[in-house]
Amino acid sequence: MKNNYIPALAFIIKLVLGITFIYAAYHKIAEPAGIARILCGYAILPGFSINILAITLPFVELTVGFSLILGLFPRSALLIINALLSGFILLIGFNLLRGHQFDCGCFAFSSQNQTASNIFLLIRDFLLLGSGIYLWKKTSSS
Amino acid sequence: MVHKDIKGTFLLLFFALITAFSYNHLSPFGIALFGQWETSKGVVLAISKTDSVNAEIQINNPELIRRIVQKKERIILDVRPREIYDQGHLPSALSFPLMDFDQNLGQILGSINRQSAVLVYCSSFECTDSHTIAMRLINLRYNNVKIFSGGFRQWQEKGYKIEKNEE
Repeated sequence: MKNNYIPALAFIIKLVLGITFIYAAYHKIAEPAGIARILCGYAILPGFSINILAITLPFVELTVGFSLILGLFPRSALLIINALLSGFILLIGFNLLRGHQFDCGCFAFSSQNQTASNIFLLIRDFLLLGSGIYLWKKTSSS
Repeated sequence: MVHKDIKGTFLLLFFALITAFSYNHLSPFGIALFGQWETSKGVVLAISKTDSVNAEIQINNPELIRRIVQKKERIILDVRPREIYDQGHLPSALSFPLMDFDQNLGQILGSINRQSAVLVYCSSFECTDSHTIAMRLINLRYNNVKIFSGGFRQWQEKGYKIEKNEE
């Protein structure tokens, strides 16, 4: 019973992380100008990097999401996922600390900027990162 | 093992980047590799294939805008939603929300002469609605249309006089 528990948990985490990243990529791919505007709203990234990130980030999310679910280079996908989540945590955390209002743009474009929901986003990203690190440790590299 | 992980990481990133740039190039909603994100140059935007922004008609000088407003040199159009306009707008600005463009067009055509000097603004540097309206007016042969690129937010930040519509 105990032996089956960990693989089942790992499988669920893999699905949740994979689907989360695929879903997050979906609306960004449809509207790159909107995601660029949101990245600009973070007021951290240098101007020259904003469009490049808006173009590439959704496809990186989509690729790692599918890669994880399909089991193609899963540890590599987890490395990228964990790096992305760490980056999101830094961006959101820094803006919360300095009191800068922003739209996350994680899953949908919002006209409301609410600090409470951004704290929720930060907690969610920490949970996802914890899951990603756990899964990376449990995933065989063979 | 680590070597395989790093190799896989580069492969995944390479695939994602190739797909991303190809899709962006072919998509009608694709954007330029570098956007316009400096407010000193006017409205900030990603520069997409569907943009209607015309940098030449922007006025990026709030002091000049204040003089225009004080001297009533231009008819001022606020293109933000009506309820936002009611909360505060530039003195003597008329409400002309982008979303009600078709509905209000007859009124505008009837009350504003095509030779009149018009100034359009929306919420901030991040807003392109003023450009959308300005380009529509120019297409309707209004030949003296300008845009206040900093919009209401910059006007407010400068501490200039604001008018409100009380309930």
